[in-house]
Amino acid sequence: MDFYIGLLQIFGIHTLLGLSAYLLILTGQVSMAQAGFFAIGAYMAGICTAMWGWHIVPALALGGLLSGVLALLIGFPALRVKGMMLVIATLAFSEVVRLFFFNFNYTVLRDGIPIGPIGAEGFRRIRYFPENGWTTIEVSLFMGLIVLLVGGALWWADRSRLGAVVRAVGEDELAAQSVGINLTTIKVAAMTLGGVIAGIGGGLYAHMTTHVEHLNFGILLATFAIAYPILGGMGSVFGTLAAVVFVQGFLVEGLRFLGDWRNLLFGLLIMLAMNVRIKQLGDVRLRNLLRGLFGLRRRSHAGA
Amino acid sequence: MVDFLQNIVDGVMVGSGYALLGLGFTLIFGVMRRLNLSYGPSVMVGIFVGTWFHLRGAGLLAVIAATLAGTVLANVYVDRLCFWAVRQRSAITAVVSSFVIWMQLEEAVILVFPDRTYPFPRLTALEPIELGPIFFRAEYVTMFACVALLLAGVWLLVYRTRFGLALRAVAQDPVAARYMGIPLDWIGLGVAVMAALIGGLAGLLIAGTDQLVIPKFGLWATYKGLIAMMLGGMGSIPGAVCGGLLLGVAEIQFVWYLGAQFRDLAAYFLLFTFLVLRPGGLLGQAIVRRELAAFRRI
Repeated sequence: MDFYIGLLQIFGIHTLLGLSAYLLILTGQVSMAQAGFFAIGAYMAGICTAMWGWHIVPALALGGLLSGVLALLIGFPALRVKGMMLVIATLAFSEVVRLFFFNFNYTVLRDGIPIGPIGAEGFRRIRYFPENGWTTIEVSLFMGLIVLLVGGALWWADRSRLGAVVRAVGEDELAAQSVGINLTTIKVAAMTLGGVIAGIGGGLYAHMTTHVEHLNFGILLATFAIAYPILGGMGSVFGTLAAVVFVQGFLVEGLRFLGDWRNLLFGLLIMLAMNVRIKQLGDVRLRNLLRGLFGLRRRSHAGA
Repeated sequence: MVDFLQNIVDGVMVGSGYALLGLGFTLIFGVMRRLNLSYGPSVMVGIFVGTWFHLRGAGLLAVIAATLAGTVLANVYVDRLCFWAVRQRSAITAVVSSFVIWMQLEEAVILVFPDRTYPFPRLTALEPIELGPIFFRAEYVTMFACVALLLAGVWLLVYRTRFGLALRAVAQDPVAARYMGIPLDWIGLGVAVMAALIGGLAGLLIAGTDQLVIPKFGLWATYKGLIAMMLGGMGSIPGAVCGGLLLGVAEIQFVWYLGAQFRDLAAYFLLFTFLVLRPGGLLGQAIVRRELAAFRRI
């Protein structure tokens, strides 16, 4: 049972990561910086609870805020580069962040044990949940609530006028600009908000695993972040969720019985899935299925 | 001052390895308009094939041939899987595909070679050369000489042969090139083989200098090649060489004056600044703007 609860928590964290990339891809920015924001959120939230003794909620908020501020600072120069160049520039940012934490030392003594990020060794003992007697169910519910809030807000914003504006920027910048949309505001706001979401996800990740190190936040995590929305299709947030469940539930955990051979198949399967594209699953079929389940009326949607 | 000069000399020598990797990247990008993130890992596969022969007592020539052959096979595999099969589709998906194949190549190598490090034969056994106060390591001089020769060869191939003409035609306009009867598939395969040969040589020279190989070499090589290409300008052959040399010099200067942990930080910082301030790179062309539409599709 604990295994499945743990799996649900992983789904939640990766959904946050995927949603932060989803928001950026909606505006036409493919960013590998999400791993960097995730790392900043993880370390900052860990420092708040484990070293300063904060409550988890302000700790997550500060982690998200710090990531958001950095994302805002990255957002402006990132406007100058597009497409593939942006992928590489943001990848460089993620690596700079990772190397920063690789060299980052800051510890305090608590109960005679040094606690805090220690360079290559990483940051151990982020034990807020066990120390305060949270059960795994409570932790999962807490994470679920955050994912629901973030996902719900994105889903709602996507249906509103704002969603149409954001999608317009992603589809055709020139056309969007000529109907009076402020490209800078939309793109930088998306980058900032994506940073905040990734930062909160990172904070949750640090508290779930109780130990983070710089290697957790490499290019692999950044690739996962953009692979989820690409795999799930850009139709709605449910596509990203479906892709997370598919990758983490089926490809990572479901194929564990293959042992060493899993990793050989893994890359190939992601590649196949991305090219055969379960877009329909994420966009139309899943949405219609969910509508059917909840008895909502169907209507055609031209956004995808 | 002598330190500074010595650093520049060392940087140019180290950078010539980066220049080769950048050259491979830029060839693939220039012709195919695709970033092959599995390029470094396929070089890594090649040098592990070489090591496999070395461990079984093969001579230097056999090791060199095996390394080049392994790199070509691995890179053609990546090319056919990620670029040929997805050619008409979007650029970003192809790039992410090429990256996930990195995992596969690295895992395959780790399955066959479970230890941390493996030895690689030394290519030259010459003494270091001393010119006044400045030292030249023999391995680095060999590397530099190989790079110079190879560059001349690539230049001849691209600007003086029919294949090179076809290559440049595809790079300029794939549709028009196809109307002229140039088989795009074969050009793509040719570029993959050519880039793999260059990468294999870079891998040989770098692994021969370090005399050891590790599975992490793949990602390292991808990073260095990518940065070298981006600094010089995507798709530009002289640009990749300049970018590689610049990267080498910058790294060595940073290591000397600030400390070893600044090596990679310096590289990424340089990359980020260049991309933001001069997205076209040192000698870049307007390719980037023209291809923007392709890179926006997901």
